[in-house]
Amino acid sequence: MDKEKIGELKIQLQQLLNEAQEFVQRIPPLQLYAAIGVVVFTIFLLLVIRLFKRRSANTILLTGLSGSGKTVLFYQLRDGSFHQGTVTSMEPNEGTFILNSETSKKGKINPVHIVDVPGHSRLRPKLDEFLSQAAGIVFVVDAVEFLPNVRAASEYLYDILTKASVVKKKIPLLLLCNKVDKVTAHTKDFIRRQLEKEIDKLRASRTALSSADVTNEYTLGLPGEAFVFSQCHNKVTVAEASGLTSDISQLEQFIREYVKA
Amino acid sequence: MLEQLLIFTRGGLILWTCKELGNALRGSPIDTLIRSCLLEERSGAASYNYDTPGASYTLKWTFHNELGLVFVAVYQRILHLLYVDDLLSMIKQEFSAIYDPKRTSYDDFNDIFQQLKKEAEARAEEMKKSKQVGKPVNNNLGRKQGQVQNGSVDGGSKKKSGGESGNDGGDVDKSRGRPLENGNLRNNHVGKGEAPTMINANGKENGASKTGAFDVNKLQKLRSKAAKKTETVVNKVPKEEPKKKITKKNRVWDDSPKESKLDFTDPVSENGEQNISVVAADEGESMMDKEEIISSDSESEEEETEKDSNVDSKKKGWFSSMFQSIAGKANLEKSDLEPALKALKDRLMTKNVAEEIAEKLCESVAASLEGKRLASFTRISSTVQAAMEEALVRILTPRRSIDILRDVHAAKEQGKPYVVVFVGVNGVGKSTNLAKVAYWLLQHNVNVMMAACDTFRSGAVEQLRTHARRLQIPIFEKGYEKDPAIVAKEAIQEASRNGSDVVLVDTAGRMQDNEPLMRALSKLIYVNSPDLVLFVGEALVGNDAVDQLSKFNQKLGDLSPSPDPRLIDGILLTKFDTIDDKVGAALSMVYISGAPVMFVGCGQSYTDLKKLNVKSIVKTLLK
Repeated sequence: MDKEKIGELKIQLQQLLNEAQEFVQRIPPLQLYAAIGVVVFTIFLLLVIRLFKRRSANTILLTGLSGSGKTVLFYQLRDGSFHQGTVTSMEPNEGTFILNSETSKKGKINPVHIVDVPGHSRLRPKLDEFLSQAAGIVFVVDAVEFLPNVRAASEYLYDILTKASVVKKKIPLLLLCNKVDKVTAHTKDFIRRQLEKEIDKLRASRTALSSADVTNEYTLGLPGEAFVFSQCHNKVTVAEASGLTSDISQLEQFIREYVKA
Repeated sequence: MLEQLLIFTRGGLILWTCKELGNALRGSPIDTLIRSCLLEERSGAASYNYDTPGASYTLKWTFHNELGLVFVAVYQRILHLLYVDDLLSMIKQEFSAIYDPKRTSYDDFNDIFQQLKKEAEARAEEMKKSKQVGKPVNNNLGRKQGQVQNGSVDGGSKKKSGGESGNDGGDVDKSRGRPLENGNLRNNHVGKGEAPTMINANGKENGASKTGAFDVNKLQKLRSKAAKKTETVVNKVPKEEPKKKITKKNRVWDDSPKESKLDFTDPVSENGEQNISVVAADEGESMMDKEEIISSDSESEEEETEKDSNVDSKKKGWFSSMFQSIAGKANLEKSDLEPALKALKDRLMTKNVAEEIAEKLCESVAASLEGKRLASFTRISSTVQAAMEEALVRILTPRRSIDILRDVHAAKEQGKPYVVVFVGVNGVGKSTNLAKVAYWLLQHNVNVMMAACDTFRSGAVEQLRTHARRLQIPIFEKGYEKDPAIVAKEAIQEASRNGSDVVLVDTAGRMQDNEPLMRALSKLIYVNSPDLVLFVGEALVGNDAVDQLSKFNQKLGDLSPSPDPRLIDGILLTKFDTIDDKVGAALSMVYISGAPVMFVGCGQSYTDLKKLNVKSIVKTLLK
């Protein structure tokens, strides 16, 4: 029974093929080639567009410990003022906008996509969601309350610098010392050196664990030498800012460097 | 009167504060509320208490989940304002009407707020008058149930601000602070959501029955005096049982063989090192350092189980939920969430999560989902599941770093030994896991020393001695019936002398209700100020985990002579290999204490020590 059915199917298929061949032969060749060409061209276009979209990551991430001033900076960038103040963020603040200082410029300006990721340790996993589209990371540090939090800050920074996506894509990082308008704020060089020292110590204790350390996929720096930020594969720069007094020019410079206007 | 009323977004921007109530708040109550309560998944609680030198506030809040707004009211703790809940919900309604995501200043809301406040106060007055009939009976019943109710009754008697009864009660409140037997449930930042709910519920019930107030206050004072008396009696009870000095005469049976040697122990000396040669234990790599192989998540599994639970509910419910999911425009009400939440709660409880923890978690998730709009093509159950998963990951993610090696290095630089104290109830595996931790530390080239401060249980010192011999590390022991606090102190001094980096202190197991033993433990911790207080809890424990941890924390806080007591810093979860997928104890313990799980013991040999894998636990809990 089955063999009969298969036989019937074969005959039907052959008939269809014959019909199709006849049909194709009837179409004038020019039209046929034109149709095929259009189809191939559109497919090609779609692929190219998809590739382009992937390359242009235009997101800047604002991260740092809780209380370092990220939400204030976010609103400074967007509106030029931080309105009535901020509290600890429970969710990320996202926005695609033209920087407030550039609204007066004429012409078409590329808007920037900025994400302010909460710094509370319970909400750390949120950072990973945005890392894939990041073009630059800003690590905000409180320059006034720096020393009590230096360990937590350096651990967070170490975690970011050793994430696979950051190392592979060489995402540039800006170390932003915030709250420099206060008298007791530390200088950016001091902060940089302290962080380098702490990360050096972290390097020693983290690599003491065996090779199968799940969280840190890469190690920092060169063995045997003290750690400096210039040893990182991605570019690390340091700058100062003050969220309360709207002194954010260095931050905007960084943003515009990596997200072209 | 209200101290402050804030409206802010979940992203952190303050949208509106009441300009009139311009008193600057002492401390930072809002930030603390967010960190200790809302982010800790305790948003189902009714209120939160915040203490700072110079002020003590109570905070109440409400969410508007669709727009992502939070409304918080702050007022003095001694006042019991009835109208706050009412006011918050009215403000929520009014504000959502004028809210616009682009706007950042809402000054026109000031007038609306004034109106609403007057309305709310008026309504509260009316309700109070109708409740003047009062229910003093409730007071009596409430008092018998425990100390928390005392706080409520006290609060109940001070309805309006001012008044002598208010001040009177305030004094009683403060003097009542320490001496009560079971300890006053101090609401510190670790946050115990139960206390505030009960306080507020009773505060409302009692109304302004001022006639009842005086009797209550008097009884209050009598009770505290009585408690003081019993407490001094308890103190005199000796801490450890003396061993029996009278030896028993051996009973002679008729047809027993002649009494020859019945003692079969080896003729070894007390210090058995000369006779036994021990091979140093080397069992390979501790599982702490091994990568855990996580099976890739198959989403189809989750969907299947979801479908099962959906089929269980009525057919009509299924059809309407399908319809809603496609339409996707319904605003979630509490009644919609209830069946899904109940199913989730039951599932959590079958995984050995303590009942009240599951309850509180579900309340918190409900609070965060209420009023939200369903996205199209999603079922209610899947939304609830996603929210619960996020909440669980958030709770189990450690709040502070659990990198012990880094802490050890830091202590080493300062030249002090790093002291870890293992506490817990009887039989959870403190000594066994202490040896495992020592083994792991040894593998990372850290000099470890053990301190045998379990001077009560027979064989405890020998047990540690055997471990120390196998691991070839020094052990500090003073035998039995010595004061553990003194032994620990001398052990730490010895460690700094012989260059050990870490001192692991073993203590005797004790029940959380045993007052004298808990006092001894808090004395040990106070005298030695360890770097890490590790609570050892077994994964087999059920609802008792909540009781154990909360009482341990509470006793360590109350019975410590220092004004800034050390509480539990971390949890060591043991016997993890004995539970298949009933991993709920981890969740209960972390939720109730806020301390992270630093180690997981999964077997009885030296290498069976792991780190907690948050994602796999969450997956197992929700399977």
